[in-house]
Amino acid sequence: MKLRTASETISFVKALEEQSAKFYEDISQKYAKDEDLWLALAKENRRFADQIQRAYYSVITDAIEGCFAFDLESEKHTIETEIPEKASYSDAVYKALSMEEKIIGFYHTAADQSMALMADVPRNFKMVAKKRSNRIDKLKALS
Amino acid sequence: MAILEEPIKGVPTIKNYIDGDWVESKGETIGVVNPVTCETIAKVGISTKEEIDDAVKAAKDAYPDWKRTPAVTRARYLHRLRELLEENFEELSRIQTQEHGKTIDESRGETRRGIENVEVACGIPTLMMGETSEDIASGIDEYLMRVPLGVFGIIGPFNFPFMIPLWSAPYAVATGNTIVIKPSEQCPISQSKLAELVEEAGFPPGVWNVVNGEKEVVNGMLDHPDIVGITFVGSTPTGRDVVYPRCGATGKRVIAQCGASNMMVVMPDANIKGTVAALMTSFFGNAGQRCLAGQNLIVVGEDDGFYNELMDAITATAKGIIMGNGLDESVQMGPVKDPQKKEKILAYIESGLNDGATLRLDGRKPTDIVGGYPDTCFVGPTIMENVTPDMRVVTEEIFGPTMGVMRVKDLDEAIKICNENPYHNADAIFTSNGKDARKFQYEVNCGNIGINVGIVAPMAFYPFSGMSGSFYGILHTQGKEAVRFFTESKICIHRWF
Repeated sequence: MKLRTASETISFVKALEEQSAKFYEDISQKYAKDEDLWLALAKENRRFADQIQRAYYSVITDAIEGCFAFDLESEKHTIETEIPEKASYSDAVYKALSMEEKIIGFYHTAADQSMALMADVPRNFKMVAKKRSNRIDKLKALS
Repeated sequence: MAILEEPIKGVPTIKNYIDGDWVESKGETIGVVNPVTCETIAKVGISTKEEIDDAVKAAKDAYPDWKRTPAVTRARYLHRLRELLEENFEELSRIQTQEHGKTIDESRGETRRGIENVEVACGIPTLMMGETSEDIASGIDEYLMRVPLGVFGIIGPFNFPFMIPLWSAPYAVATGNTIVIKPSEQCPISQSKLAELVEEAGFPPGVWNVVNGEKEVVNGMLDHPDIVGITFVGSTPTGRDVVYPRCGATGKRVIAQCGASNMMVVMPDANIKGTVAALMTSFFGNAGQRCLAGQNLIVVGEDDGFYNELMDAITATAKGIIMGNGLDESVQMGPVKDPQKKEKILAYIESGLNDGATLRLDGRKPTDIVGGYPDTCFVGPTIMENVTPDMRVVTEEIFGPTMGVMRVKDLDEAIKICNENPYHNADAIFTSNGKDARKFQYEVNCGNIGINVGIVAPMAFYPFSGMSGSFYGILHTQGKEAVRFFTESKICIHRWF
């Protein structure tokens, strides 16, 4: 499905962050390792969603192109968060890594598309992408 | 995407808010219709002259105490109101979409713009400060105070039912005046919800009143001897021929912000991708129903290659605009407000064609409305080429999702067209050349100039600056000019023997 408007893109972001937060909570319950880290990541995901939503609600006006700012294919950016029954801890960590890379890619694409049109929203996309990039090394160290 | 939940349920009756009480109008009621579904979502009373008199009396009675309330205290009421507006942001936005038809992104933008005016008015202790000159002659000092005037009337339009009364109301009450708002009878629910929040914020009874209705209420306000000033946003014929002269005749201050036929000038060096997105919002946002909307596209230069590339991109994007219910987050354009407005837009398109324009994109019979809603109020994006500056589609305000395209050889010719148009509200240039942008900004006589910006909507701390044909009065709404409008300058010269 195409995402063109700011409203549906922000809803997509919220769903993405919530889904990935739940994924981290699932890992923390399923494996008795690094629980604090997984729960911290889940909490941070929800903060990212709040941060982006706040930026959107603060900047949205009729002077910017809210209905025409994006041209995203949602299918390209959906994430897989199901942890198979027999998956090992390192499988789960690998899945987390792939998910993070996919989400980072989404934020970069969304930011590039809307940079000239949506003012503060793409700036926040970039900030979140950067913070998520910092997670990659941490996750790699676990695997 | 799912359709967001509708906040208005059942068919409530919208009441007047007079002297802190919610009172049902004694006049007949009419339906408030959602233009997407064509269903009646509320009923509103058409108030009588007696009811406007009641509201003005309440405002007049409340004025002396409110005037004496310190500015810092008045600001605290506004701070509380601002908090409540933020808490109710989403509901307020969805109400606008439901009663007007605009998309949810557009409604949220409107809510944000409205709140920003309350935020600016919260600074009234500073904004209202006077001036002092010590020793204008030895031992004699002079100072200026800004003092409120009394009861103001605020007449709102249908196209921004929440925001536009807030271009005036927060400044009026912040400066110590009391107000009577008449919302559009077509979209009265936003102002009713706002008044609920005003009540919750604890404003004293009579300071903020809302009277619903039609012409009789407007006439009652214009002629009322106890109303000292009016702000009006609406059509040029009404502003110029009714509101402005009637206020003059009865000694009222007036801000009459009126119609437009705005020009979007595209230079051959413009960034096509960014320009097209901006033009979509400008011409087709809010279904073209705003006084800042682009109505005319002027493409500069004789390069057919650039013209074709630009027009192909515009046409392809406009053709792909998703129309439907604004509460569906994927929708990019809603309907116009009612079938009569649609008919008027169609008549303008017909007139353009009769005058020699040609259709590049025909939106007169939209068939692709998402959700299968009736096309009663929908007009698709319509692009007319071969338009000339003398056609009615240029010289009159269409107020719909239409784009009339003109080609000119150079920037001078484009500026001439801008300046010879009867309206002077908001014109914009799209270019990557600073010198051309500066020339445009300097030479075009209109109140709001855009440079690579298609909707030149001033922030709340700047005046909403229309000029002749689009504006009647001296001071404008918003920011410091609004503070000046709602206050009188009082001078005191003193010496001590």
